[in-house]
Amino acid sequence: MDLNMKVNHLPALTYRFLKSNDSQIDVKDLYIENTKTPEPESVPSNVNVKADATEADVKALFSGDNAKIKEKLVNLPGPNGDTAHLNDAQTVRTGMGVEIDKLMAEMNVPVTVITASEGSKVEEPVVIRYSLKDGECALGSQVIHAKKDSEITVIMEYSSEENAKGFLGIQTRLLAEEGAKINLVKVQMLSESIVHFDDIGGVCDDKADIDTIGMQLGALNTWGGCRITLLGRKSKFDNHTGYLCRHKQTYDMNYVADQIGQKTDSNMVFRGVLLDEATKIFRGTLDFKSGSAGSVGDEQEDTLLLSPDVINRTMPMILCQEEDVDGRHGATIGQLGDDTLFYMQSRGIGEEEAKRLMIRARMESIARMIPDEGLIVRIQQYIRTIL
Amino acid sequence: MSENNKAVVDIDRSVYDIKDVENEQDFYRMEDGFTEEIVRKISEEKHDPEWMKQFRLDSLKLYNELEMPDWGPDTDELDMNLISSYVRSKSDMKGKWEDVPEDIKNTFERLGIPEAERESLAGVGAQYDSELVYHNVKDEVADQGVVYTDMESALTGEYSEMVHEYFMKLVPPTDHKFAALHGAVWSGGSFVYVPKGVKVDIPLQSYFRLNAAGAGQFEHTLIIVDEGADLHFIEGCSAPKYNVANLHAGCVELFVKKGARLRYSTIENWSKNMYNLNTKRALVEEGARMEWVSGSFGSHTSYLYPMTILKGDHSTMEYTGITFAGKGQNLDTGAKVVHQGKYTSSLISTKSISKSGGIGTYRSSVIINKEAKHAKTSVSCDSLMLDSISRADTIPGMDIRTNDADVGHEAKIGRISDEAVFYLMSRGLSESDARAMIVSGFANPVSKELPLEYAVEMNNLIKLEMSGG
Repeated sequence: MDLNMKVNHLPALTYRFLKSNDSQIDVKDLYIENTKTPEPESVPSNVNVKADATEADVKALFSGDNAKIKEKLVNLPGPNGDTAHLNDAQTVRTGMGVEIDKLMAEMNVPVTVITASEGSKVEEPVVIRYSLKDGECALGSQVIHAKKDSEITVIMEYSSEENAKGFLGIQTRLLAEEGAKINLVKVQMLSESIVHFDDIGGVCDDKADIDTIGMQLGALNTWGGCRITLLGRKSKFDNHTGYLCRHKQTYDMNYVADQIGQKTDSNMVFRGVLLDEATKIFRGTLDFKSGSAGSVGDEQEDTLLLSPDVINRTMPMILCQEEDVDGRHGATIGQLGDDTLFYMQSRGIGEEEAKRLMIRARMESIARMIPDEGLIVRIQQYIRTIL
Repeated sequence: MSENNKAVVDIDRSVYDIKDVENEQDFYRMEDGFTEEIVRKISEEKHDPEWMKQFRLDSLKLYNELEMPDWGPDTDELDMNLISSYVRSKSDMKGKWEDVPEDIKNTFERLGIPEAERESLAGVGAQYDSELVYHNVKDEVADQGVVYTDMESALTGEYSEMVHEYFMKLVPPTDHKFAALHGAVWSGGSFVYVPKGVKVDIPLQSYFRLNAAGAGQFEHTLIIVDEGADLHFIEGCSAPKYNVANLHAGCVELFVKKGARLRYSTIENWSKNMYNLNTKRALVEEGARMEWVSGSFGSHTSYLYPMTILKGDHSTMEYTGITFAGKGQNLDTGAKVVHQGKYTSSLISTKSISKSGGIGTYRSSVIINKEAKHAKTSVSCDSLMLDSISRADTIPGMDIRTNDADVGHEAKIGRISDEAVFYLMSRGLSESDARAMIVSGFANPVSKELPLEYAVEMNNLIKLEMSGG
């Protein structure tokens, strides 16, 4: 099959010449032979895993929250160039949008539903490892459901054989019920010949919390999206993304925090490095809907550019239809500061080594947040190898 | 404060709203719509040289081919078939104020234009509907070789070659649908040339008044500030309010030569039935500086993003803008900058206020090309929401193509702090006065960039908006 999809729509369109309103995925002659999510390595007793759920099951699971979202957003005018209608057909709004839902439906991808039982705090993370062989093309779909007052951590690690060619597309949807917390970690260390997308969508009920950590270190072309709807009062979304793009790698992302409930809180941090002829497009949106009084949001982007041939596009948006909110965005984009280089050189560290040190420091500042020592070591080794 | 506030409320906004009846005897009005026949008629009316006639016809063809933008405010209610492209007084342009027809003169007198000319300006141009009705430049400025004339005179007179060389080269009709429309039906506007090394100490001003209902104004402003020269140009706009849509699709092209400086200030107070689809662009050469100061208060719908191309090494730009979107308004404003030369720098600082259901959108783009080594840019946009029935959106974009650049961006959105209101109320201010004072303070970085008379007008407009005037 050929993939031809428009994904990562900006929530509000802007000038066409910036070429960032959406992104096109074009992949030819794809033969998808694997659509099953690998079994988790260990399943704690208070976690239930159902490997063959259908989209109808997912719709039923999210139906209560979807009705509430619809009710709260009815008749509210959107921003100029609003694109919300494009994704109306989604079961759960995700960063990449409806085309991913359609692809999963067309390929009959079964959904693995991981459920943390009510009131349980799962101490050990649930680990799902994708390890692609050369030529392998895979799709996977998961739902992580944290029932009332529970907490669950899921770690997803994507790796492949060295120099493997292939395709990996993942969609993960999250439902955090009242007082629950979902920690989702995704680490991508695929070979540089693999095309990859990773799509996340989630809903937070009252006092619920979704915390995502993402590391994009490999693959040739990566599309990433994440859209979290903070529906409940005092619900919270934290995201930390680290990325390293080199050679001709591209990373195209779309992160959205839809803040609907009162006193919601979103905090998104993006820290990355671009080398050689790499290209990155960052879309990040804080969307304060009417009724989200008392909400706060912050997105911070810090990009280190280490080659004269990189392309860095940044589209940080704040949309607001509520008076009582506090939203902020900050971006710092540039090369290694002269002061830093001078300091390093005064301690006998050459320019190239200083750059490597700074890259590692940036990536590790995100990696250290991952609650898995073994995975942190593998990330360090991967970075050391590619540098 | 309450006395002041009373004084503010007493300022009669209706001065902008006075409608002068335009009868057929004194005014010529082109039939509505935009057809080849109409464009040919305009060209004939204006005694265009052949190249301009062809330029208009080519632009009209482009206009019919280009699509409406899909990313900005809704323009569905703007029926282009109901807009007249050309309305003019049958009186010629005058060089003496007393010769201007009485009714037009009265309108400008009410707006304070002649008074401003006497007190603080080096020259004034006044456009009424589609044509300039008055143009004058002070002798001492003219003696320095400064040219300040209407576009039509420049097109056919001594500067015709210069106009031919520069006209719509910076904003080509291919740029977007309304640039093409402008190319087809433009009329009026000013031509300014400041010779090498000449510094014009006091500002020049053009004032644009669109009086006719259902009309479009398509003035063209072309300013060339030659090497080492210095100019401050002020643009003011207003119109009375009608129940039908009016359209403003002007075009401003600014050429700032090596080592020159141009400051372009605008206080826009179009009536709230106006679609303001204006295009402004500056080309800045080596070591030159472009400064924009922009206040947007009027219009029903605005698309306004002055663009600066930093072509020369060490060229710089600064944009300071404020937008106040009140009831029924959808103001989509901001700035665009392209860094092309080395060691270029840009500073964009905007404030946006949304109130009573108004939609204020800050939209920008910063492009740093591969060649623009050592470029620096800093963008800061603050939005203030005054209630929960309005919208304030921030939609910036950056495209950075070199590592040798320093990019900083900050955006904030929020409300008036209760603590600040409480503090001011504890000092004896009413709540509404306290809020008005805080909003004026929020706008202060913009107003302090304006000449005193205009800063006062801007603050009055803010206070009027705050008091619902």
